[in-house]
Amino acid sequence: MYGENIKRVMTCIQCGKCTGSCPESGKTPFNIRMIIRKNQFQSDIEEYIPWYCTSCGACTIRCPRDVKPSEVVIGIRSMFVEEGQIPTQIQKALENTFVQKNPWGRARTKRGDWSEKLDFSVPHVSETLSKRLLFTCCIQAYDPRCMVIPQNIAKIMNSCDIEFGILGEEEACCGNEIRRIGEGGLFEELLEENKAMFKEYGVQEIVTLSPHCMNALKKEYEGSDIKVVHYTEVIAGLINEGRLKYKKPYPRKVIYHDPCFLGKQNGIFDEPREILGAIDGLTLLEFTRSREVSLCCEGGGGRMFFEVETQYRRNSEVRVEEALSKGAEVIATACPFCVMTLEEKAVEKGLQVKELSEILMEVI
Amino acid sequence: MRAGIFICHCGHNIKHTVDVRRVSEYFRKIPGVIVSTDYAFVCSEPGQDIIVESIKRYNLDRVVIASCTPSLHGDLFKDLLKKSGVNPFLLRRVSIREHCSWVGDDVELNTEKAKRLILAGLYSASHYIPLEEKMVEVEKSALVIGGGVSGLSAALFLARMGIKVYLVEKEAELGGHVRFLGNIWPSGRKGRDIVGEMIEELKGLTNVEIFTEAEVTGFEGFFGNYGVTIRQSDRERKVIAGGVVVASGFVPFDPAIKPELNYGKDQRIVTTFDLERGIEPPDLPDRPRVAILHCVGSRDEAIGKSYCSRVCCVNALKVAETIKGRYPDSYVESFYMDVRAHPRGGEEYFEAVQERGVLFTRGNVGEIVPSESGVILRGEDTLFGEVYEREFDLVILSIGMASSPGNRTLAQLLKITLDKDGFFLEAHIKLRPYDTAVKGIFIAGSCSGPKDTEESINHGRASALKLFGMLNLGYAFVDPFISWVDPKRCSGCRQCEEACIAKAIKFDEAKRVVKVEEAACMGCGLCNATCPSSAITLKGYMDSFIGDEISGLLEVV
Repeated sequence: MYGENIKRVMTCIQCGKCTGSCPESGKTPFNIRMIIRKNQFQSDIEEYIPWYCTSCGACTIRCPRDVKPSEVVIGIRSMFVEEGQIPTQIQKALENTFVQKNPWGRARTKRGDWSEKLDFSVPHVSETLSKRLLFTCCIQAYDPRCMVIPQNIAKIMNSCDIEFGILGEEEACCGNEIRRIGEGGLFEELLEENKAMFKEYGVQEIVTLSPHCMNALKKEYEGSDIKVVHYTEVIAGLINEGRLKYKKPYPRKVIYHDPCFLGKQNGIFDEPREILGAIDGLTLLEFTRSREVSLCCEGGGGRMFFEVETQYRRNSEVRVEEALSKGAEVIATACPFCVMTLEEKAVEKGLQVKELSEILMEVI
Repeated sequence: MRAGIFICHCGHNIKHTVDVRRVSEYFRKIPGVIVSTDYAFVCSEPGQDIIVESIKRYNLDRVVIASCTPSLHGDLFKDLLKKSGVNPFLLRRVSIREHCSWVGDDVELNTEKAKRLILAGLYSASHYIPLEEKMVEVEKSALVIGGGVSGLSAALFLARMGIKVYLVEKEAELGGHVRFLGNIWPSGRKGRDIVGEMIEELKGLTNVEIFTEAEVTGFEGFFGNYGVTIRQSDRERKVIAGGVVVASGFVPFDPAIKPELNYGKDQRIVTTFDLERGIEPPDLPDRPRVAILHCVGSRDEAIGKSYCSRVCCVNALKVAETIKGRYPDSYVESFYMDVRAHPRGGEEYFEAVQERGVLFTRGNVGEIVPSESGVILRGEDTLFGEVYEREFDLVILSIGMASSPGNRTLAQLLKITLDKDGFFLEAHIKLRPYDTAVKGIFIAGSCSGPKDTEESINHGRASALKLFGMLNLGYAFVDPFISWVDPKRCSGCRQCEEACIAKAIKFDEAKRVVKVEEAACMGCGLCNATCPSSAITLKGYMDSFIGDEISGLLEVV
């Protein structure tokens, strides 16, 4: 029914490790173990159920039978996508991505506009010697809140003489969320389009800004051997080499939130902490649930584009409350989706949420 | 050549799809075939008698038996030839059951195929030469690697039977993991006492040499005369051992590999092994809330350990009972996927622990999150289908057994095989569970997979018994299938010397040719295939055998 994975689904022993690891179970009707059980018997699954999944990946990482429950959810979603039984907002996001190559439906021609506000010019990747590409990510190319992230990183890399270029309007959505929504066909299209661009301009290395883009480019662009890194890896390297020096202190209590796609899914835990830890005066706090057990912000798996129906306590609220109880003044993270979800609740409680690069801009 | 052909019906197994009568008649016309006959069961006593009588009456010098696969009844037919005064290497077995009668049911096709197969065997056999199995003396000594409970039990058995034993242990003290165990189910005895008695007896025996903080660094030779190098700090000792028992044990699974368990980051999260070693958990209240997790490091493909460790369920029950005994008002909840209390009495023990009020919740705990007031377990009770978050004062992880990382080096040194999980592989899981593929090397205890104390002791004793049987004979036969170099064809390129893994090929500087050291040759055929001048032949597997065998298959019958 759902491709090759069905064999593994049949080996599920219903141990419940997935449900115990899932950030949505308990508070919502979403029970990932039950979905696998129903999948084994080919029973019907209510159409609203699979949309709770945030694609955080905890179930797939921890499953003792390698059933890959989060991939099963994608399989179920793709069935609903095929039948057209999907929430309108999801439908909209898919249509937008098909037409404008970004889920928000902004004009493709404006994808490179963020770079025009800089006091230096960012070349097209084909004009660089290093063929190092800064991959912008849809939300950071258009959303005014997130647009500062590529700008900040561009400034830092420029100041450290790291050559890079962009693709501008030739860049398409990476497709990470699109695949997770269940539109495998559209994902393939985006992948082919981007891969063709990388090939045409001889891209050697990709520096990604969003962990979601990094995940897709690194793990899901099959047959691509381009080196893909997250910007935190680049910056941590610059600090270690002494090429990036902080000039100002940041005397505040900062608590770091591990994004799922950066941390538990791709194992980047230390670089962001190294970057923060090197700042003078900064007190780095940790959530009880940090690193591999970090609590998902609920922004992944298509959840950025629509709201699930039931009213329940947001994980962002849980995060913000813990940050407050630990005396944090700032929540730092390294993912645009996490910034958006956490900020919504943090602002209500008078707490600041900052993307790592924003803190960096204040100290250099 | 005076060949005899004996075709077996195997009851109906061969006869129902092969016209055996027609086949035996066909061969009577072939030159060189003196007798060709068929019989219901050639392996039966009357069947054997037919072969022996035919050999004697017709003075046969080749025997072709067309029956089941050659791997069955091999020694039986070889002995038959020996008894009749014919070299056993002049026997040819042809499989017309597995390779013919069982494959299809067209009698015409099968009969023709059987003829061709037997003809091929006959042609090949015409080239056979008599070979002699060399008899070598066997040193009545044994090397036991590992001084844990199974190594001790093997060493003790061998030593009592008068075999000289070299016991090599990598740690400073003998006794392995068992010496730390508090009470060994079901006897309730202390591990230290069990191994203590064994060590004491062993130390009292004069034919035992114990090397602690030592390792085996060199290994060569063949069964009966293995040359072993033992390194102890900076000293090296060379000894001769007739055979070997490998009992290198296991390592306890380290739960820190699973970050969601938070082991090692909070004192209130401990393993069953920590408790056994006497690591005291933090002070508990009078009515402590204790969680016990089964299957930690077992049955888990996320960490590449798909096997069941067999001992941890009983360990988990034991720890639950202990806590209930010490704190009668405690709340003890055991989280399991399945309770596999397999040893004898295990299921009854499970029942008894349940009766004491220990709760069993089915579900693999998702995450363990420490908080100030307690440790929070988050998971699903898969029987209720409900997600819970419960707080405990102590969490005990019932950890499994992992293979020792040293096994890899040992496997390379001894040329024995490991399974996918890094445990030593037995030669046959049912028929030869103690043997390795190498003659005279046996495995014992948890180095070949998770085992409890009782099983480890038995495994050690069984391996020792099998080795003793081989050593006590005082002699052994060496397979005659070894390489032979034709000095006239050898160009002295020495490529075979490089290819040889047994280091059996030596270069003769004076004559500029290579020579095979017969005692060391394993008969693997690598040199044979490497030689560009076809100067090396493997006795018993010559090129001409195969050439004529193929022409037999292609002949019109």
